[in-house]
Amino acid sequence: MPTITIDGKTIEVAEGTMLLPAALESGVHIPHYCWHPKLSVDGNCRMCQVEIEGAPKLAIACNTPVRDGMVVHTTSDKVESARKGVMELLLVNHPLDCPICDKAGECLLQDYSYSYGSNESKTPEPRRKLEKRKDIGERIFLDQERCILCRRCVRFCREITGTSELAVFNLGHTSVLDVLEEKPLDNEYSINVADICPVGALTSKDFHHKLRVWFLKKTPSVCPQCSNGCNVTVQHYRDRVWRVMPRRNDAVNDTWMCDHGRSGYDHISAEDRLRAPRLRDGESLADVGWESALDTVAQRLRAAVRDHGADAVGAIASPHLSNEESFRFARLLEALGVERVALPVPMGDSDDLLIKAEKAPNARGARDLGLGGDAGGPRALLEAAAAGSIKALYVCGSDILHVEDADLVERATAALELLIVQDLAMSPVAERAHVVLPSLSFAEKDGTFTNVAGRVQRFHKAWDAPEGQLSDGEIFSELLGRVAEAPRGFSAAAVFDEIAASCPAYAGLSYALLGGDGAATTAGAGASE
Amino acid sequence: MASNAVPLRRPKPSRRIGWIRGARAILTGLRITNGHFMRNLWGFIRRKPTVFTVQYPEQRVPMPPAFRGMPVLVQMDNGKERCVACGLCEWACPTDCITIFPAETADEVERYPDVFDIDMSRCMFCGLCEEACPEEAIVMSHEMEIAAFSRRGTLWHKEDLLTPVESVAARLSHIRRGYERPEAKPAE
Repeated sequence: MPTITIDGKTIEVAEGTMLLPAALESGVHIPHYCWHPKLSVDGNCRMCQVEIEGAPKLAIACNTPVRDGMVVHTTSDKVESARKGVMELLLVNHPLDCPICDKAGECLLQDYSYSYGSNESKTPEPRRKLEKRKDIGERIFLDQERCILCRRCVRFCREITGTSELAVFNLGHTSVLDVLEEKPLDNEYSINVADICPVGALTSKDFHHKLRVWFLKKTPSVCPQCSNGCNVTVQHYRDRVWRVMPRRNDAVNDTWMCDHGRSGYDHISAEDRLRAPRLRDGESLADVGWESALDTVAQRLRAAVRDHGADAVGAIASPHLSNEESFRFARLLEALGVERVALPVPMGDSDDLLIKAEKAPNARGARDLGLGGDAGGPRALLEAAAAGSIKALYVCGSDILHVEDADLVERATAALELLIVQDLAMSPVAERAHVVLPSLSFAEKDGTFTNVAGRVQRFHKAWDAPEGQLSDGEIFSELLGRVAEAPRGFSAAAVFDEIAASCPAYAGLSYALLGGDGAATTAGAGASE
Repeated sequence: MASNAVPLRRPKPSRRIGWIRGARAILTGLRITNGHFMRNLWGFIRRKPTVFTVQYPEQRVPMPPAFRGMPVLVQMDNGKERCVACGLCEWACPTDCITIFPAETADEVERYPDVFDIDMSRCMFCGLCEEACPEEAIVMSHEMEIAAFSRRGTLWHKEDLLTPVESVAARLSHIRRGYERPEAKPAE
C-alpha cells in the first residue's frame, strides 16, 4: 500500500486511489466542485489543485493517483492563489442571487467564496443574461446563470439513471446547461441532481422558496415509502418535515434516493391528525382519555375471545410498523390466542436501481416477526369477516385500503361486532370503528425497519410528539400489560434486544451493532451474497 | 439561621463638619429649585415658556433620523413589499422576534414573504435587521406607540408592518450614509 504525506500527515492508502478521496478520508479537506464520490472523475472545475513535491505544476487531486512517497501540500501559497484564480473566474458571471437562492447556506460556491473569493469584481462588463427559473422537468427548475458547469448532473443522468437528459450545449464562454425540448428531465431520480448541484442552478420545485436551509434540523432516518430502505435525513423545522434527503450508505442506496420517497410527508403535520383516542357512542365517535380507551379495548378483545373463541378474532398488521412494534403486536396477539393475522402490503412499480415493488418499509420485518399471516392474506380475512365468522378485528394503519377494494372492506367492517383501528388520521375504515387509537408517524418515534434484502436499519425520532400521544409500540405494550402479565413500558432498544434473543434471524444484533448504516439479518446476509 | 454578616467599621464623620456640610447642601438645593421656579414664573408671566416640557400626546417632538423605533416593511411602488424573504433579518435578530415563511410568485421578483411576523414584545430596537437587509426592505421607523392590551396585540403581521417608502425616506438616507451605501439603489 502506498504511503503518502498530505500537509505533513502520513497516511496509507490503497493502490489506485485518487488523491482527493484519500485526502478527504484522512480528514484533509480539499475544496472541489465537480468531483463526487459516486460519479466518474471529470476534472473540469480545477478547484482541487494541489502542490505535489517534484511535480512541475499544480495537479488536480481528483484525477491524480496516489504514488508511494508522494508529498502533497494543500494549503501552500501557490495552491491558495490558484484557488483564488479559479474562484474569480467562477464568480465572473455568477449572479448575486444568494438572498433568494434556495441553495444559500449549503452552497459550495458560497462557502469557498468566503475562503477564496474577492469582494470586488474586476470585470466592468455586465454579467451574462441567461434563462432563470427554467422549467426543465416535472420536479426541477434550472437557473442557467447560476450554473458553474461542473457537469455533476450531466454525469448523474448519464451514469446513474442512464437517461442522459441534461447536457452542456455550445462551446467556450457560451456553454450552457440545458435539456432538449423534447426530452425534459423527468426520470424517477431527478431531484438527486438538485442535491449534487454544488450551486443553486438546479433546485427542487418541491422545496423551491420554502424555507432557509439553516433552520432545518437533520435527523437520520430510513425512507418509509418502499421496501428498499434508502437511508435518508429527515429535515424538519417546527415539527414539520420540510424535505427528505438521501444519506450515504454504500450497502443500500449509495448517495441517491428516488423522487417519490421525498414527498408525501404532509400528512404527518396535517391539521386532521388524530390526537386523542375515540370511542363509538351510538352513531358518532367521541374523544376519550387513553386509560378508558385502552381499558375498553383490552376488555372487549378479551370478551370477544371468550364469547366467540380466538378463531373469531382477527388482526390486520401493517408493514409500516417498526420491528419492535411488530414484535410487541405479535406478543399481544399471542397473549390473546389470536392466530388469524394478515399483512396487507401495498404494491407498485419497481425498477432495478432503488425502487422496490413493496410500497412499505417493513413488510419483511413483519413477516420475520410472525405477522405475515397465511396464504389467504388480507382478502381471506376480510371475506371471513363479511361472512360473519370473524366478529372482532384489530386493524393497524390504512394499508388495507390500498390493497383490497373498498367494497369488500366496507362489507367486512360493517359486519363486525368490534373494530379497533389504530392510525394517524381518520380513514373510511376508522369511520366505522368502535375504538380508534391515534398512533405516531416514523418521524416521531425510534425503531428499526428490515428492508427487502434483510438489512436492519435504525430510524430516529425527529421531534417529540405532542404530550399524551402514544406510539404504536406503547399502545401494544399498554394492551399487553392489561391482557397478560407483562411490563407496560416500551423502549425500542430493549424490545430490539428481546427480538435478538427470540428470533433466530436477528440473533446477535443490537442497536450498538446497527450503528448508522444498519446490519444484515442472518437470512438477509445469505440472500444478498 | 446563622448570619454571615461581617460588621463594617468605618470612621464616623466629625459632627461639626457634618453639620456645616448639611446646611450647605440644603442651601444649594434651595437655590437651584428657587432659580428654576423664578425663571419659570418669569416665563409664565411673559407668556414665553422657558422650560422644555412637551405636552405629550397633544404635542410631539420631531425625531432625528438616527432614532430607532419599530421596524417596518417598506413597500414597492406597486404596493407589494420589497422584502424577498431572504431570512437575513431573521438570522441577525438577537431576540428571535422575526418569523418568515417565503413563497413564490410569477412576478419579476419571484420570492416574497408569505408570513412575516414580528413579535414586538421581544423586539429590542437594536436595528440589526435593518443592517442585515440587502433590499432596504426592513427599516427602523419612528413609530414607538406600540403598546397593546394583550400579548396577541404585540404580534405584528406583514399587513400591519407595510409602510410606503416616503414615510421612512429620512431614515433610509440616514442608513445609506451610515453603512456607506450608494444613495441610489442599483438597477434591479
